[in-house]
Amino acid sequence: MKRGCIQRTGALVLGVLGVIFLLPAAAFAHLVTTGMGPVYDGIGHLLLTPEDLVPVIALSLYCGMRGARAGRYAMFMLPLAWLLGGLVGLNLDLDVTIPVPALSFLLLGGLIAADANLPDQLIGPMTVMIGLLHGVFNGLVLKSGPGGPALLGIMGALFVLVALMSAFVVSLERPWTRIVVRVMGSWVAASGMLMIGWYFRGQLS
Amino acid sequence: MYRLIFLFIFLFWAGLFQPALGHESQPGSVELVEIGEDRYRVTWKAPIYYGKPHPARLELPESWQTLGQPTERRRANDIVFERVVTIGQRGLDGSILKFPGLETTITDVYVRVKRADGSQATSVVRPTKPWTELRGERPWYETSREYLFLGFHHILLGIDHLLFVLGLLLIVKNRVMLIKTITSFTVAHSVTLGIATLGYAQAPLPPLNAAIALSILFLGPEIVRVKRGQTSLTIRYPWLIAFGFGLLHGFGFASGLSTTGMPQAELPWALLCFNVGVELGQLLFVFTALGLVWAFRTLQVHWPRWVLWLPGYTVGSLGAYWTIQRTVMLIRGF
Repeated sequence: MKRGCIQRTGALVLGVLGVIFLLPAAAFAHLVTTGMGPVYDGIGHLLLTPEDLVPVIALSLYCGMRGARAGRYAMFMLPLAWLLGGLVGLNLDLDVTIPVPALSFLLLGGLIAADANLPDQLIGPMTVMIGLLHGVFNGLVLKSGPGGPALLGIMGALFVLVALMSAFVVSLERPWTRIVVRVMGSWVAASGMLMIGWYFRGQLS
Repeated sequence: MYRLIFLFIFLFWAGLFQPALGHESQPGSVELVEIGEDRYRVTWKAPIYYGKPHPARLELPESWQTLGQPTERRRANDIVFERVVTIGQRGLDGSILKFPGLETTITDVYVRVKRADGSQATSVVRPTKPWTELRGERPWYETSREYLFLGFHHILLGIDHLLFVLGLLLIVKNRVMLIKTITSFTVAHSVTLGIATLGYAQAPLPPLNAAIALSILFLGPEIVRVKRGQTSLTIRYPWLIAFGFGLLHGFGFASGLSTTGMPQAELPWALLCFNVGVELGQLLFVFTALGLVWAFRTLQVHWPRWVLWLPGYTVGSLGAYWTIQRTVMLIRGF
């Protein structure tokens, strides 16, 4: 940027500052007109919904255990698949009860606990499938609320979560730390079993 | 080429946020003013939520009797419900106000009681606990917790404040400069937050919001200059800019605190807790951003060259968009 341009920007800043302190009105309410409310709704939805959050953490842990390549893949593909599923869900009119979260808990928890060495050709499709399924159900829920922009918030939160969690597991070097991760996986799997039990109990009664 | 990218990002955000005239996380408020023996005027301001009336409603205790006809006024950003009630012999303390429907939203509600003797009490109702028990005096730890969370929420929901901090992070080149810059921003906004909350100075909100947007716009070209290997006063001394604009952002934080209309006795302590909450939220954001950089290195992510330009152009274009939007709102007199 040229010196003149910087000076002009500086003058503009000073001008606005001048206007602020010359105007006599008082501030009574906070109204930040950023329009980011639905995006925050999306972030909040993911972080406050254990049925979505736990599988994301579990997938990140598992991909981290499989190395940087799997972690990278999950970091990019999971948010994209989730967005795609979400867009489909927003346009669907379904009323089905499939225990997707419970199945995700069970599958991912089991893989972590067993430290299963799935080939890359399977980790990819599994990541996409989990993203799509959870995304569809999120889309169905968000349809009556904040809608599409919330999916952007979910995408952003997914990207950050998966990047941090996967990188954390990749960086673990001591053998016992891997055991800790596997124990966490077993808890996730156990929770999944409980959820499936409750689901079928509900179906039978 | 980069001008085209800039234009694209600008149009993307402009298109995405076009209909946004109000903040969906704008708080609601309930004010109970004692106007006679056992009589209170109840004013419930329910913010407009995604362009519709707010899903939450105010449920008063069953023993309270409404006198006369309740009124309802629709304004640009909220609907104001007003009524006069008698609260009976049991008094106000221990009464419970409920907000059914609040749990499905991200709205906080500030509750304020003004008694005839001049004493006041406030509390904040959150979607996670959509009711409050009215009490005259509260233990210090409850006040602390409330205002700590309020400050924490305020910065994390204030994308403009966060974007400014992100801009600073993209300009600083080493850890020492990072600590200097963040400390400088913290000191500056604490100063203006303090003097504004204590009533020594005030900044009107519409031009303040425009100026905050301008501070973000200011950082956009500076980030691009860093990427190009150029230098400037901002790049050499980012802490200086952080301090200057931090003063502005402090007034913005103060507006988030002043809406609670807290009693004078609670003011210094609440101010401190609110500020600590803001700092904690800011630190969380800074560490998350630094954590992401570390994660990209650990996961061996090699970004294409054009991606490296994106943060600067995103910060700049959002700053430009908000500056224009808020200046237009200022001129129109919103």
